Amino acid sequence: MLFEVVHVTSYKYSEPSMEAYLEVRLTPPRRPGQEILSHRIEFTPSAPAVSEYDDYFGNRTTVYSMTLRHQHMKVVNYLTVNTSKPAAPAAALSMSVAEARQILRSARTAVFDYIEPVPAVPLGGPSAQWAREIIRPGDSLGDCLERLNESIHQNFKYCSGSTDNDTPLETVWKSREGVCQDFAHVMLGVLRTAGLPCRYVCGYIESEPPDPEGSATRGLVGALSTHAWIEALLPGMEWVALDPTNNQWCGEQHIAVSTGRDHLDAAPVRGTFKGSASQIMKAHVTMRRIPEKP
Amino acid sequence: MNPVPAFLTYDEVLSSAGESREVYRNLFERLRASSRSQLQAIDNQLEAALREMGVSFDVDRDRPWGKRPWFCDLLPQIFTPGDWHPLAEGVRQRIQAFELFLRDVYSEKHILRDGIIPVPVVLGSRFFQRPAPGLPLSGGSFLHLSGVAVCRLPNGSMAVKHHYMSHASGMSYMIQNRRVLTRVIPQSFQETGIHSISDVPTDILEMLRSHSSETDPLVVLLTPGPLSPAYSEHGFLSRRMGIPLVQGGDLLVMNDEVYLKTVRGLNKVDVIYSRVSDQWLDPLVFQRDSTLGVPGLVHCIRKKNVAVVNAIGAQLSDDRALLPYAAHIIRYYLGQNPLLPTLETLWLGDVDRREHVLANLQDFTIRPLYGERILSGGDGNTPSEKTLSSAKEAILKAPEQYVAQPQSCDAMTVTFQNGERRRRRQDHILFGIRNDSGGVLVCPGALTRVSTVASDFTASELGGGGTDTWVQVDLEARAEEWDPARQTELHMPSHGVTSRVADAFYWIGRYLERAYDLAGMVGVIESLELEELNPTERMNYRPVWNKILPMLESAAVPSRRTISSPEGRHRLTLDTSEPGSVVSTILRAVENAESVVETLSIDAWGVLSHLREQFEDACFDPTAPPEAQAASSRSLCKLARETIPRFFGTAESSMLSDDGWNFCKIGQFIERGAITANAAASITGTLLLSQPPKRRGHDLEIRLSAFLRLLNCRDLYRRVYQIRVDPEAMLNLLWKNPVVPRSVLRCLQGCATLVRESESNLSPATERALGAMESLHQSILSTDWSVLLSDAPTSGKSRLQSHSEALLDRLLALHTVISDSFLNHQVLMNHETRPLFRP
Repeated sequence: MLFEVVHVTSYKYSEPSMEAYLEVRLTPPRRPGQEILSHRIEFTPSAPAVSEYDDYFGNRTTVYSMTLRHQHMKVVNYLTVNTSKPAAPAAALSMSVAEARQILRSARTAVFDYIEPVPAVPLGGPSAQWAREIIRPGDSLGDCLERLNESIHQNFKYCSGSTDNDTPLETVWKSREGVCQDFAHVMLGVLRTAGLPCRYVCGYIESEPPDPEGSATRGLVGALSTHAWIEALLPGMEWVALDPTNNQWCGEQHIAVSTGRDHLDAAPVRGTFKGSASQIMKAHVTMRRIPEKP
Repeated sequence: MNPVPAFLTYDEVLSSAGESREVYRNLFERLRASSRSQLQAIDNQLEAALREMGVSFDVDRDRPWGKRPWFCDLLPQIFTPGDWHPLAEGVRQRIQAFELFLRDVYSEKHILRDGIIPVPVVLGSRFFQRPAPGLPLSGGSFLHLSGVAVCRLPNGSMAVKHHYMSHASGMSYMIQNRRVLTRVIPQSFQETGIHSISDVPTDILEMLRSHSSETDPLVVLLTPGPLSPAYSEHGFLSRRMGIPLVQGGDLLVMNDEVYLKTVRGLNKVDVIYSRVSDQWLDPLVFQRDSTLGVPGLVHCIRKKNVAVVNAIGAQLSDDRALLPYAAHIIRYYLGQNPLLPTLETLWLGDVDRREHVLANLQDFTIRPLYGERILSGGDGNTPSEKTLSSAKEAILKAPEQYVAQPQSCDAMTVTFQNGERRRRRQDHILFGIRNDSGGVLVCPGALTRVSTVASDFTASELGGGGTDTWVQVDLEARAEEWDPARQTELHMPSHGVTSRVADAFYWIGRYLERAYDLAGMVGVIESLELEELNPTERMNYRPVWNKILPMLESAAVPSRRTISSPEGRHRLTLDTSEPGSVVSTILRAVENAESVVETLSIDAWGVLSHLREQFEDACFDPTAPPEAQAASSRSLCKLARETIPRFFGTAESSMLSDDGWNFCKIGQFIERGAITANAAASITGTLLLSQPPKRRGHDLEIRLSAFLRLLNCRDLYRRVYQIRVDPEAMLNLLWKNPVVPRSVLRCLQGCATLVRESESNLSPATERALGAMESLHQSILSTDWSVLLSDAPTSGKSRLQSHSEALLDRLLALHTVISDSFLNHQVLMNHETRPLFRP
């Protein structure tokens, strides 16, 4: 499917800012199932130069600095992508959990980051019980992943605005409600507690199908802002993506942009401002399907 | 003598027979022969010398000038060549091995893949920095300046206790101990051949400069600031190396390069000697709420536009969880046996070791993986039950956060603090500097840390002190590695005062002037109220009062400022929740002063801190009877009126009259001029009051007289004009009189003179600032107040009012011009300006 995405992040300061520095992770990776046709990032006010590097988690990162006094700041990510349904890694998914765990454990140094607790995703607690009940050693990895995805979808309520960026996972487990970031963290917590490496993905999702009349399907949750889901690492060092918020394996309607251990690593825009006491950040995403020419 | 310690410890000075050891004999016997009062006298001299040199190690964060002076003992530690050589070699070997370790774990991770040490110890360390892999290494290495702490084992052999490889803290104390001892007992040095350490700063500077290909690179020392306990060390090292001491806010990242903001412009920084931990270094990459760091710095390193020493990620080598694996690391990378063992270190994340330690907790020193905090032990005493149980609780809560080391370590020595012989514990920190051929030079000296009267701990953070450390010259060895010819005193090159310092001084000047004027107004009204006023006079005084209050910076700040009632004046004097009150304004001035306390003279700081104390002691009481409120407003305003000029006077006569101080005076002039102009603009309505001419004369006279009193100008007016208060004369006095201290013109001239003085060569920024002042100056001179006064308004604003306000606006805009030109450098890049008070 062909998509055009426009993702706007804007900051408005209480006082004009003297210095602003941004690191943005907005360049989607080129990977099977995700062909990038065009991509550019526009910063306002425009800086004489921006520069880029690849971070520890492999995200292409753009660095922007503005040392002139300014009142607003805006980052617009323009993207044209052609997505296709990636082939499921059937062999790895049919492996038993015990076997998969054994193989992955032998690559401890490489998978360490994706299996250890981080402050945003602590292990144990309620995750331990879920891990025991859902990720059973004898079951196939694919079944377990799907079952966990479904359980989270069923047991947690998507509730826009119910949590913010810093709501601890413990609170989410108690209230059983949250947004896509929380759904992803819950899933990461259970998988890591079960000894399965996995990572957080930040990206875009198509929320409205192009022809709502023709189908009874409801729009997918998550659009209008960035979306979040997870990827699990399979033996053979291959990642497979699941979206617990929408109870599905990720497919053509998902565009992955950045990854990391948690939402902090994968944050699409990170900024530091000087001179202004506070700033209001707003983000908006529009994702439009372009009809493919016959 | 103190009681015998509870644990086995080697005695550094005395043999088991109680005799002093050979190497200490001469010195020790002489000290022993001295009477207590002689010793006391020498010790006092030593303390005075340290205070004079400004050596402090501060643990009390509430008292910037009450810093704890560093304690240095009279009896030095002496290492014979036979002691020293293996020790230095062992330290060198260890630094080299950990260097290779860091390079490996931040790239290929062979040591982990080969299973030599557990993966979580390295990748799970909070000091393993994920932004580090792939960052270019300046000079090809992580570690350029390292410390290693060693101590005696009970059998007298040496072992490594901690690593300070990423942050070699304590080098200045090593040097200062030597300096102070040579001053106090110079004769001791003539008898013994010992290695000099006075050129260590030169070696560090050479090492730092070698990280840039520039012929004259700008090297800076980045400090967390005055709140850091080792701030005195940062100041000492930067002074001795002749490099600027900077804080994060002094640096600016632009186009992937780092710049130092100075009042003379932006200077590109080539090398940063960082004393800020990785986690605070760049809020974009590490801890996001860090205000100590420089946003964008890591990317500048990535682009090879700046070098940071030591490299980001190096702190991993200081994680105590790695100490148990030090021997593995040395063998793995160097293929050698460790020359220096590690003091037994048990990581409590391991369940067997934890149980062993918990069962014998009193025998161990429990520390977190990083830092100097101690949970239990460490002082050679048996811990109390309370300490043991709280340590146990902490360990069980997060065992992986702690390590245990036996209490049976360190050495006992003898100290002569306060003229008394005492037995004290000691350990040592040795320092290594990487040279350009990749080798490590171990400084022939050390920081020997001793426990003190105040503390049984050796660590400086815990109240320990130090003693000089002598490494005897090996007479049989070949020529000395350390060339005394290189001991040159460096001159501080002129990089100009940093913009941060100038900015703080500017605000000290502004706030103090504002507080001074406001206190004057409140004080005048309190005395007016005491005077016998007739109702007419009272009625005529009041309307002008509130209008002339000094302006607040932000128009949006809600304020209940009123000067008309005793309660309002009390609030305006003492209410800390009132942004424009005298007390709030003074506190802001003091805050600014605190941020640059190292550049203030002790005397000047004393005046300010006294002022703050007095205001803090007085309490705001909105419910007190009006008489009590009036009395307290009066006395505190009087205090402010007396003390603030004392600060300026004391500072003027006790401080460097450099750019920093100039900006304090510039701030004072700007504020004073703005207050005058604001008052003059606010009274225009009164001056044009249309009333019957007969009454008008008298009422106006009363009002203007009150007005001038509030501005402390009535007597000046009388001396200049010797006539009753007349509007035109008054306006001329306030705007253009060249000798009235608060006339706008005089304030402008004061500013212009200072700006001119602060620059030998006129830069575009200076020219622009001077241009703005000059043009305002001309406009004020050419204003004919009599014409404006005779032009009564037909409707709306009078010409008098709009002209006055226009002049005021231009005066306020000078703030932006000054700060854009010298303090935040917008003028180099931007043309827009925005006035401070009226957005």
